[in-house]
Amino acid sequence: MLLDYDRLGWLRVALAGFTALVAAFLLLPVVFIVLLSFGSSRWLAFPPPGWTLKWYQQLLADPAWIDAALTSAKIAAMAAILAVAIGLFASFSLVRGEFRGRQVLRGLLLTPMVLPVVVFAIAIYAFFLRIGLAGTTIGFVIAHTILALPFAIIPITAALEGFDKSIEDAAIVCGASPLQARLRITLPSIRIGIFSAAIFAFLASWDEVVVAIFMASPTLQTLPVKIWGSLRADLSPVVAAASSLLVGLTLCLMIATALLRRKLSR
Amino acid sequence: MSRPFLSIRAVRKTFGAFVAVHDVTIDVPKGEFLTFLGPSGSGKSTTLYAIAGFQDPSSGDVLLEDKSLLSVPSHKRNIGMVFQRYTLFPHLSVAENVAFPLRVRRRPDTEVKRKVGDMLGLVRLEKFADRYPGALSGGQQQRVALARALAYDPPILLMDEPLSALDKKLRQEIQAEIRRIHRETGVTILYVTHDQEEALHLSDRIALFKEGRIEQIGTGEDLYLRPVSEFVAGFIGNSNFLSAEHLQTTAGAATVRLADGSIVTGVKATTPFGQGQKVRLMVRPEAFRLTPGPASAALAVEIVDTSFFGDRRRVVARTAGGDEIDVRPTSDAQATDSATTSGQRIFFDPASAFLFPA
Repeated sequence: MLLDYDRLGWLRVALAGFTALVAAFLLLPVVFIVLLSFGSSRWLAFPPPGWTLKWYQQLLADPAWIDAALTSAKIAAMAAILAVAIGLFASFSLVRGEFRGRQVLRGLLLTPMVLPVVVFAIAIYAFFLRIGLAGTTIGFVIAHTILALPFAIIPITAALEGFDKSIEDAAIVCGASPLQARLRITLPSIRIGIFSAAIFAFLASWDEVVVAIFMASPTLQTLPVKIWGSLRADLSPVVAAASSLLVGLTLCLMIATALLRRKLSR
Repeated sequence: MSRPFLSIRAVRKTFGAFVAVHDVTIDVPKGEFLTFLGPSGSGKSTTLYAIAGFQDPSSGDVLLEDKSLLSVPSHKRNIGMVFQRYTLFPHLSVAENVAFPLRVRRRPDTEVKRKVGDMLGLVRLEKFADRYPGALSGGQQQRVALARALAYDPPILLMDEPLSALDKKLRQEIQAEIRRIHRETGVTILYVTHDQEEALHLSDRIALFKEGRIEQIGTGEDLYLRPVSEFVAGFIGNSNFLSAEHLQTTAGAATVRLADGSIVTGVKATTPFGQGQKVRLMVRPEAFRLTPGPASAALAVEIVDTSFFGDRRRVVARTAGGDEIDVRPTSDAQATDSATTSGQRIFFDPASAFLFPA
């Protein structure tokens, strides 16, 4: 191997130090936010003069925050379901189909991931204004479904590519119609991919803020939009508490995914 | 003659300008074990897929008990198939895999349970009913696949190189299992392989494919003892080919001159040859003797190597023309000790040799 870890010598120490630094740079802000959310200082001072749960009490007592969290969950769930459904059909045609422009279509379906989000946000906002979908739940879900689609397509195509089509053929020879074979054999066989797709699609919508700011209305706000708005209005530790919950849920989902993957892939 | 059970009639399959299968016609009686043998790309698998319904033939017909199968979709043909690759359903247990074809046919639970038990008993894997495919060896997986393919009592079982992913020892074990299962169930089997030993071991009849056509069809003995062409002779068993010139044929016995000028008379000639025509003389390794016998032709050679295997002796010889010859004398000649094998001549009965056009 070009870079053999065992033969790096003193560079190993440097490498470990660098890795620790990068990890700290990525994780420390999150750790600080979580710590501050339990701090008693009104002004987010660090180190906190004391510890308290009152910001969480305030958060859970405020219907606006609860509402935003529920809206986020609802939109993310719908976007995830739609993205997985569309992603399934798209993946079948991308993996199994034999038509011209297959690679172009694949690229097109993955563009929402590489396109600058703000460009996409402005474009879809202008379009939705014109057709009257701006500020509606449907508009929100459509926009987030488009953003989540690449996150659904990538794991599903990967799973489908790893699935031997002979297995589906075997089901058909056994007497299952092509549709039955796909529903009863192929889909369960790629369920890890579908499950990952659902989680990633959910998270893509759950913590999305740019498009959400454009789509939101005073009566329709997602959690990230509410956090953003509160940060600008008054810098209260309630925001830190909300952010911590956001991080917490994301973390739980990732851990659940990892555990389920391990259990399913026997 | 009674009407055939399965009839493959002038099946032809083209991919663009490439003809994969040229008008293949075979009648298969009920209960036969028929093997499609041939090198890769010879059309044997394509023919099998046409019967399974994965590839529609460009022309021709496949009849099962006088009814055409071609208009029937794959899943309604009621045919069993074991694939080259492992095709067990990964998320279902062994028992549920075998039950799957019965479940899609909506058979009652009691029948499914009984049949699954019978089938796992047939392939001797009762103890593995609750395992998942990932926990089985390749050989076990193919046996479960066989049980699954037979669970719904299909009239025909198709097997597409089911053992090619297994190692040699396991292959022989499962070949014996397949023979036993064929005997016990009486199912008609069409088996595809490129391994001639496997074909000889398993089949009632072998159809040898070459470039999309059936070169010869018959029992293993037919193909081994009466090959119709150099291709068949070379593909089935081991063969030595010697360049020669045909001199004359009288009453089916040909006289040829070998490259070193020696004359061999009394070679079986099944097709007529012209005088002076270049021919190839084929002699099986076991047809050679190290000592002269009655009516034997002699071949001047240089002995390159001899090895002793206990039950047989193998000698590698080289002719004056430079052709290497594989010699495996059978037991009567095996008594000879190694001193004999240092001789400069080997012998064969011309009546056991074959003549093909060069």
